Amino acid sequence: MVTLAPMPEPTVTPSAAPRPVAVAPAAPANPAARAVIEIDDVDFNYGAARALHDITLNIPERQVTAFIGPSGCGKSTLLRCLNRMNDLIDGARVSAGQIRIDGVDINDPRVDIIELRKRVGMVFQKSNPFPKSIYENITYGLRIQGQKSKARLDEVVERSLRGAALWDEVKDRLHESALGMSGGQQQRLCIARAIAVEPEIILMDEPCSALDPIATAKVEELIHELKKQFTIVIVTHNMQQAARCSDRTAFFYLGKLVEYADTRTIFMNPANPQTEAYVSGRFG
Amino acid sequence: MSATTENQPLPRLATREVLLRKRRGWFFGMTGDQVVKYLFQGNAAVSIIVLGLITFTIFKDAVGFIPMNHANLAVYRLAGLEYVDLYREQVTAHSTMSRYLADIRARQLDILMQQEGLTAAAAMARLAAFDDFANKFADTINEQETLLGTMSDLVTAVKERQKVAEDLMVARQNLLGGMQGAAPDRAAQLQKDAAAIQIEVIDFKAEIQPVLALRPELVAANASQIAAMREIAAQAPKFADAELSRRMGKFQGFVQGYFKEVEVIAGRMAAWDQAKPIGWLEAFNAFAFGRKWVTASFWQDWYGIIPLLSGSLLIAFLALLIALPLGVAAAIYVNQVARPAEQKFIKPYIEFISAIPSVVLGFFGIAMLGETLRRVSQIPALDWVPGFPMAERLNATTAACLLALMAIPTIFSLAEDAINNVPRSFKEASFALGATRLQTIIHITVPAALSGIMAAILLGFGRVVGETMVVLLCAGNRIQTPDLASGLGVIFQPVHTMTGIIAQEMGEVVRNSIHYRALFMVGVVLFLISLLINWLAQKIVRRYRISIG
Repeated sequence: MVTLAPMPEPTVTPSAAPRPVAVAPAAPANPAARAVIEIDDVDFNYGAARALHDITLNIPERQVTAFIGPSGCGKSTLLRCLNRMNDLIDGARVSAGQIRIDGVDINDPRVDIIELRKRVGMVFQKSNPFPKSIYENITYGLRIQGQKSKARLDEVVERSLRGAALWDEVKDRLHESALGMSGGQQQRLCIARAIAVEPEIILMDEPCSALDPIATAKVEELIHELKKQFTIVIVTHNMQQAARCSDRTAFFYLGKLVEYADTRTIFMNPANPQTEAYVSGRFG
Repeated sequence: MSATTENQPLPRLATREVLLRKRRGWFFGMTGDQVVKYLFQGNAAVSIIVLGLITFTIFKDAVGFIPMNHANLAVYRLAGLEYVDLYREQVTAHSTMSRYLADIRARQLDILMQQEGLTAAAAMARLAAFDDFANKFADTINEQETLLGTMSDLVTAVKERQKVAEDLMVARQNLLGGMQGAAPDRAAQLQKDAAAIQIEVIDFKAEIQPVLALRPELVAANASQIAAMREIAAQAPKFADAELSRRMGKFQGFVQGYFKEVEVIAGRMAAWDQAKPIGWLEAFNAFAFGRKWVTASFWQDWYGIIPLLSGSLLIAFLALLIALPLGVAAAIYVNQVARPAEQKFIKPYIEFISAIPSVVLGFFGIAMLGETLRRVSQIPALDWVPGFPMAERLNATTAACLLALMAIPTIFSLAEDAINNVPRSFKEASFALGATRLQTIIHITVPAALSGIMAAILLGFGRVVGETMVVLLCAGNRIQTPDLASGLGVIFQPVHTMTGIIAQEMGEVVRNSIHYRALFMVGVVLFLISLLINWLAQKIVRRYRISIG
């Protein structure tokens, strides 16, 4: 039997705010939420090797969906399919099925990949700010779109940094190098950079795996805030994180989707014995 | 028996015994690790010592140049060559004016034949008056030329005697040097021979009195020349053509300028002091800022590095200008844009260029490139390009084109490495924000790799400055400072280079002569330039590593 409550007390509790989610979300996710991403029978190949088999799942709007599973189960691959980051890898392709965002098949040759990526932002496992100033990092996405107005850029920088709960920490050193920030700040800067271009969906690929507990708590708090505006898909190895932050959870194993349901269901009452074994920590 | 031994456990030593057991080596008591360590240490030490010795030798031979050049300049002054050269300036200034007149005549002839359609003979007849004027003008220098000749002969004779005295001095030193370690009777013979050598000590002050004594004659000659020139200039022919008459006006201006120059030169000759000592700095500056490289001359040898240095730099910058866009663009393309199949082809192909021996490239330059460039430059439609048509087949540009070819692999490989070292995550982050490939390259990849690319460029520059064979074969080898007055056309002038002059002259110079040491000085300058470039490149790369983290 999997018991999620009581959670072990976090070793360090940030004094600023209490952790937002104790277990699974108190209110069950709205089942009527519109599915903004529809993944239909998707197979994915790296060359001849098949990494994903027949994945089907719908991701609802303005909710946090977590992908969990042991290493190599294909969860990051699927995440990177959603903004076609896998295009950068030679020989990688969706070999069957469709991924639709807002009803449009994103692998359709008519789809503009630039526009897709503007709408589907991404935060990576290792924080990767550009070796530029904080200000330039945030405005990069807008500048390459041709936005030149200083006032507009200033406004976006403030809004994005506030959105990423970073404004108060860095407002006095916007023009210093982003590489001088702490790891947690850098990751939140990357989130701010992603939301500066006003996407619909934010993909997060293990965003906290390189962060200490305090920084992790801040990012999780941030995720909770961000879901009011954005649809969030998060890949995580940390099951407690999935339990704390997400509304729905998908469990993958060996390239297959084993179970996909409300987070509460997955953790409290999983239908599949493999899921139960994994979430209770017996394998993986 | 055997069965029992197999069954017995192997004897095992107590831990305290094993810990304190000393490992014995198999090679003079050294273990394998120690042998390898000392072998490598020895190799490293030998290379450092050899490099140190080479550097030391080069510097030692080069430093000897300064006192020798000091002596060289001292004789130039003492023997009065400097004094005569002052006067020579006046004669040169006059012949410049005569050349200007010849130029006017050529234009005039052109106008008469092209525009008025006169035959050659008729045109010549029309020019008779002008020729008469020009000849009269040219004759006004005759007296000065005679005086210059007389003075030159006098001072050359003094200098020759000084040279003989120096040579004898060296001969005597060689004899005395041979005494050491020789058999006693042989040593005595050598000493006798050495003592028998009579070395004349030249009293320069007395020797150049006849030259200085000519001063009143110089003054008189100048006075009569100026009077004659005023008279002739007043009768200068007038032209209807605006351009010619403008040039004639300019000529009159030159004549007035010449009068002033005569005065200035006379003043300088009067103030010339034979006894004024040559400073050590002057001996060094004559090298570092000297604009003449003249060797084995009957008059005076000059060892100024400026023509060689400027030639080397001109070629190197030109080559870099060509190689930079090609090398860096190729690196960006291969690393960021090309498909794997293209990468597999382009990379080895460009790197293969560096395998071509430079003498083969030089041969290609002489046989093909120079001629092709000149043909292209002779196309009338390209006349607007400065410096076209080229006067010489082999010039700075010919050499620079080939050197660029040699620098491209260096720049390409290093720049490609630098771009490759930009973390993949930067690129991904940029793409994830909706940047195109081009935007990512321009805004993220290249700036992040910039210091590495800068280092690549610097090392490419170093490669080009140090290259010898191609410049020796293709640069034209004319020892002259590139004339910036011809604007951009300067790149089509033949030049000589530091590397080229060493390769060309080192084989023929007398060991330990001033010329020999001057070549070593040139070598030291090259060495310092390379050192500076490598140091800068390393510094930049180090900063780059820190900034990427």
